[in-house]
Amino acid sequence: MNSLIKSYGKGLTALFVGLTVVWIAALIVLPQISMVDRAFTYEDRGGAAATLSLEIDRAYQEVFQISTSLDDLRAEKEALSSGGSAASQQESVSALDPFATPAPTPSQGVNMLDPFAAPSASGSSNRTAAQIEADEAPLIAKKSELEAKIVTLEAKEKASTDTVGLDTSYSLKNFTEMSSVHLQVFLSTMIYALCVTVMAFALCYPVAYAVATATSKNKIAILMLGLLIPYAINELLRIFAWVMILEKNGVLNAVLDMFGIIDLQVGEGFRFVASNGAVFTVMVYAYVLFMVFPIYNTIDTLDKNQIEAAKDLGASTFRIHWRVVLPHAKPGIAVGAIMTFMLSAGSIAVPEIVGRGLHPDWFSQVIYRRFFEADSWNQGAAYSLTLLLACVVFILFNMAVFRVGIRDIAK
Amino acid sequence: MTTTTLDRQNGAVASPKRNPIDWSGAVLNGYLLLFFAYMFLPMIFMVVAAFNASPTPSVTDWQGFTFKWFEQLLHEERLISGLGHSLLIAGGVIVTSIPLGLAGALLLTRLQSKGTTLLYTVLVSPILTPGIVLGATTMIFWRDALGVQAGLLTATIAQSSFIASYCMLMFMARLQRQDLVLEEAALDLGASSFFVFRRVTLPFLMPTIMTAAAIALLQSIENYNTTFFAIGPSWTLVTEIGARMRFGISPVINVIGVLFVAITIFAATVYVIAGRAKERA
Repeated sequence: MNSLIKSYGKGLTALFVGLTVVWIAALIVLPQISMVDRAFTYEDRGGAAATLSLEIDRAYQEVFQISTSLDDLRAEKEALSSGGSAASQQESVSALDPFATPAPTPSQGVNMLDPFAAPSASGSSNRTAAQIEADEAPLIAKKSELEAKIVTLEAKEKASTDTVGLDTSYSLKNFTEMSSVHLQVFLSTMIYALCVTVMAFALCYPVAYAVATATSKNKIAILMLGLLIPYAINELLRIFAWVMILEKNGVLNAVLDMFGIIDLQVGEGFRFVASNGAVFTVMVYAYVLFMVFPIYNTIDTLDKNQIEAAKDLGASTFRIHWRVVLPHAKPGIAVGAIMTFMLSAGSIAVPEIVGRGLHPDWFSQVIYRRFFEADSWNQGAAYSLTLLLACVVFILFNMAVFRVGIRDIAK
Repeated sequence: MTTTTLDRQNGAVASPKRNPIDWSGAVLNGYLLLFFAYMFLPMIFMVVAAFNASPTPSVTDWQGFTFKWFEQLLHEERLISGLGHSLLIAGGVIVTSIPLGLAGALLLTRLQSKGTTLLYTVLVSPILTPGIVLGATTMIFWRDALGVQAGLLTATIAQSSFIASYCMLMFMARLQRQDLVLEEAALDLGASSFFVFRRVTLPFLMPTIMTAAAIALLQSIENYNTTFFAIGPSWTLVTEIGARMRFGISPVINVIGVLFVAITIFAATVYVIAGRAKERA
């Protein structure tokens, strides 16, 4: 601390310390703590208040469905009175259909809609205004009944305090309740991320070596440009370029068509997107450059005379790399591996866009769904913490294997 | 070097064989050619498809040259306002992460204590944390502790947490090359430490501050994973692109791709040329 005051004076030192403390507290440590706190807080949703709020939600949903069907009926009536063509009626029916179809999970609202959807789909063209009104009447009655119910339920909810029923307690349940499917997704994500890392290393080591040992300045400049340009282009756009290639009517299928392997005219063609292979390929493509630069930086500092010396002493190419270049590149490999693993394990863009939600999940997608679809922030926090811990373990593993310190890693 | 050499770079990589007997060199050059084809072909497809009249982006099904997708981009209000949000966030990120990174770097380079490594580890940890975790923790903390809902502010803060670390590393690299004699001389001549900082250290750091600001801008605009979690109901250019891509692809995205590629090639060329000019000087 004295050395600081000596060089910057009291005022500036206080300012720098203050800024750093704010940074650590507000941007790094406190957010992590609140995540850990949530991860270990278990919310029991089975309590009375939880059931109550669930009931209210369901009632609202039913009211919404009834009003949409009422709207449709009204539209149908209007079409009838204005003497609309059968075609337009057909359209209004098809607009209704999607509402009746999401019925794999039998809920009250859908059951109630079904009997109404069925006749309208079968013989809508010869329904009279009277029939429509007959359909309307019970719906209107049901709607007002539900609205009354909502009022009483909400009054009840207000009367009971928040703590009743919504039991929160510290426990490991958010982790242990991780279903076997989620666990499987987690493990396969880790394995895939490892594979991506190994692939990226295999692909880019020769490139990093070539750039670092290139002798002509022009060649170095061009190679650097060739690496910098794709590196700087947005991750999403790089993914997008690949989606174009892998689409059913994309470049890859067209090339296969050209060679006569498949015939696009008769609708043949592989659906490459939304497969694990596609996710894997695009991920390697998207993150390989995060491996190139750290390795290039370390090989660049190697005294090239060492390579010459090894060559003169009769070492084989393999031996030169194994005994001279690779040992020197260790810190770079560690950094590249850590960055690539972290990016691919935590990637949400690639599985969301290339996977289209059709291929088996990536763990980041599970986390996203916990937060924003299941509305279970605590479980989401627990899963994020799991992902973070996996990355920490990977970092420590790399530090041990490549014998590098934290200072070598983040450079 | 002109930009025309850029177009031929794949050929230029493989052509000069220094030594005809050097087989491993030839293999390496051939491999480089393949690698750069792997890197660049998808981009070329993306750029070409932006000028194809076909409503689904394609290079194989050519339906005529057109600029209509460029025109259509001007009518895409969500994309344009998304760009506005992106720039707003980037401005906020620059303003927060440069002072933070600078403060951290100045402390770490001068602090002589055993705690330095721990401090360093904490300050670089955001770089090593998956982006979605940064986004999620920021979102949780600001809602739970301060009642701030996810939006542009939380996105700015979440991005700053790791961009500040990148800035810090750049400043540290620069500070390690600083000649302390100048500072000491100024102090000996009776300058106050604040004066020395303002007139000696800060001017020395100025080029790095500029580079750091440029990199912070790029990183902020580019960022998807962290922003995706922390932005809540709002959107940036990149999250909007991502949202659209999930429902299929449109040539308007190709147009954005063309613009990004053009800007990047320009910036990268300037960067490399400037670097070489500096080397020669």
